[in-house]
Amino acid sequence: MNNHLKALREDRGWTQGTLADRLGVSRQTVNALETGRYDPALPLAFRIARLFGQPIEAIFIPSEEPDAPARG
Amino acid sequence: MPGVRRFQWTKTGVTSTLDTIAARRQTGGMTSKLDRQDRSEGDRARARAYHREFWPGIVAYAVVLTGVLLWGDLDGQSPWRFLWAVLPVIPALWIVRAVLRHVRRSDDYQRLLLLQGFGGGFAVAMIASVTLAFLEIAGLGLTGTGWLIYGAGMLGWIVTGAVAGRR
Repeated sequence: MNNHLKALREDRGWTQGTLADRLGVSRQTVNALETGRYDPALPLAFRIARLFGQPIEAIFIPSEEPDAPARG
Repeated sequence: MPGVRRFQWTKTGVTSTLDTIAARRQTGGMTSKLDRQDRSEGDRARARAYHREFWPGIVAYAVVLTGVLLWGDLDGQSPWRFLWAVLPVIPALWIVRAVLRHVRRSDDYQRLLLLQGFGGGFAVAMIASVTLAFLEIAGLGLTGTGWLIYGAGMLGWIVTGAVAGRR
């Protein structure tokens, strides 16, 4: 999953460590999020969205559109 | 938000316009300080708490182990030698407690890395124990197999943890 976390962080003038402290996670986790190596669980995703004042879907973008569920 | 235009829904998904940020980056200078890899305050606090709990356990373990080796007379005849032999379990449990508390303080991603490390160590220890058991059945006289399994497990834990953290 791609995301705009790095751009949003840099726009606020925060280091990865600052963002980590604001989210209550490690700097390593912020780095993994920004590089797309880790997709956050919902509670962390909501914390990120709340911190940046953006909806989750505006920050995180699926790599591909998920398949529609089968009907019938 | 200053400097960032609002994200918008489109039919095919979310599209973002971060032109302002991109332009600001191209003008240079802004990201160098922000890309620092320093640990955060929270990281430091977690590390301090871990070291505060882990190292007394290690020191106690080393002291007890030394005492057992010096005065335990493990290869003697005293019935007390069995008590001496299991004595290091007490400080070892303290170390286990420190590690478990460290895991509880960690966030989800760090737990994932720690779990991968534990899993790697466990798998290596299991493979080592089965392999050594078969070698013993085959007639290869091995001594201190428990220590070999312990060493293999620890090595597996360290290597897997390091590889998982670097990916």
